Amino acid sequence: MEKVLDLWAAYGSTVVFAMVNAFFALSTYAVLSVGVLSFATVVFAAIGGFLAAQMVAHFQTPLFVAFPLAAIAGGLAAAVLAAAFLKLESHWMALASLALVLITKVVALNAPLLTGGVNGLIVPAKASPLELAVLLGLATLIFYRLYHSWFGLISLAVREDPAVASTMGIPPRRIQFIAFVISGIVGGVGGAALAFTLQFISPETYFIGIAFSMIAGTVLGGSFHWLGPVVGAVVFTALPTTVQAFVPQIEDVAKGVVLLLIMVFLPRGLIDPRAMRLRKANQKTTPQPVAGKDAVV
Amino acid sequence: MQLFLEQLVNGWALGSLYGLFGIGFGLVFSTLGILNAAHGTYASWAAILGYFSVTQFGAPFPVAIAVGVLGGGIVAVAVDQIAFQPLRAVKAGMLGALITSIAFSIILDSLAGFATEHQSLAFPAGTYPRQMVDLGVIKVPQMQIITILALLVCASGIYFLIQKTRIGAAMRAVGWNETAAALGGVNSRMVILLTALLAGATSGLAGVLGGISTSNVSYALGEGLMLKGFAAVVVGGYDDIRGTAIAGICLGIIEVFVAQYISTSFRDGFTYIFLLAFLVARPRGLLGSVNFTRA
Repeated sequence: MEKVLDLWAAYGSTVVFAMVNAFFALSTYAVLSVGVLSFATVVFAAIGGFLAAQMVAHFQTPLFVAFPLAAIAGGLAAAVLAAAFLKLESHWMALASLALVLITKVVALNAPLLTGGVNGLIVPAKASPLELAVLLGLATLIFYRLYHSWFGLISLAVREDPAVASTMGIPPRRIQFIAFVISGIVGGVGGAALAFTLQFISPETYFIGIAFSMIAGTVLGGSFHWLGPVVGAVVFTALPTTVQAFVPQIEDVAKGVVLLLIMVFLPRGLIDPRAMRLRKANQKTTPQPVAGKDAVV
Repeated sequence: MQLFLEQLVNGWALGSLYGLFGIGFGLVFSTLGILNAAHGTYASWAAILGYFSVTQFGAPFPVAIAVGVLGGGIVAVAVDQIAFQPLRAVKAGMLGALITSIAFSIILDSLAGFATEHQSLAFPAGTYPRQMVDLGVIKVPQMQIITILALLVCASGIYFLIQKTRIGAAMRAVGWNETAAALGGVNSRMVILLTALLAGATSGLAGVLGGISTSNVSYALGEGLMLKGFAAVVVGGYDDIRGTAIAGICLGIIEVFVAQYISTSFRDGFTYIFLLAFLVARPRGLLGSVNFTRA
């Protein structure tokens, strides 16, 4: 028992941050799975985080009210953004959403009434790891159900080729809009989770760092499967801690190299449904090695 | 009036750095389809290499610039070959390259931190031209004139290269569709290498010039250039060099004027308000072209 407690003391915060990052990665996955690369998750996270923090600070709302409020706010923001930016071509969408991240920081810095400005906000509430785990479990369950639903099939069609999808009677824009709203909801929850974990947030909190970790988490884990983002977020969050244990001097360099190696050798991510199917099909017939076999966890 | 003109030149020179940096970023994005997070580190490394060539080997100013430009280009080609080429081979698209570029930005940034021992270095006085040029009404530092000219020469040169030459046509073809370009007889491997080299070289030039004129040679140099250069690319339209150059200059002038006439605390704010206005009103940028490929 004591050993477990020691382990938790050493790696507990890594686990908690992995869960928070998993929300961001799921939010990114939601839009990636309809073929849109968007960094707007950071914006939704900022909105959800600051709203939840302010609600708790001023109205003493309990956490189970603050989280849904953050989700709603994130979803609404996503609807507005989707209406404004989904018309853009995919390259532009990526650039525009990245620009929005920069704008969000400047807005947050210059609205001290809402965000505390440069000084940031102290959040007088803390979410326990168990609460976060339940929330994340719920979110993952929803993504699992979506993946195996008609919506999952349709979004795969939209991702692979919007033109073909629309000839089959699928409205790509509407599917992308729905995906965006889902992304906003999860992103808002993630932002609130981050606020209730750090207990101190500032405009710096919701910036490029989150953008990097969410996109890296999603792509590392695999953006073709509902479990991918969660696995990726865990790997990406645990990477610095692990690397630090082995090569503390060149921690950052080693982290970058590991990231590079994973991407070069497993470009479709750690969890890849195509590789799984290939392996399954292969086992039925002849036991020959398949390209990408290592992709299966 | 004199102050106004002086600040105009200051802003123009600052904006020229953003433009120079943005050109390379836009070039890689439009030709190779890579959102390159490591682009800022090319500038940092160019500045660091230029700095060491001056302090360790006593290189004169033009040589330091050349070292920076070449260094930026070589780093860019190396990153391209190590991080992007394996993904290109398996057609992993924009996402994989984005992650490997993030990986390289982490690696190069932290190596830059080691190289400068986590300090902000400045080029020693006397190793670069620092006289004032008398233009009648105002006096302008030589470095500012060099920076402004550098952007004009690079932007027009690369624009000419892309629009008027066979190599440029090949670059545009690869940007449109690499396979189709290869079928049409374009050696896409060479085009990719050339694009990476050009992008790294312009970024390196911006890095050396910026490192000299802001007296800040560290990994933070590339980061700062990245944020503003990116804004210039979005405002200007990523597939047009001219747009990026003009937008860069405008952003620099706005930044300096806001700091001078409104408040220094809004210095960055106005840049991004400008960016937001462009995103809403004209999302494809100043001179960006309309794309018909998407259904």
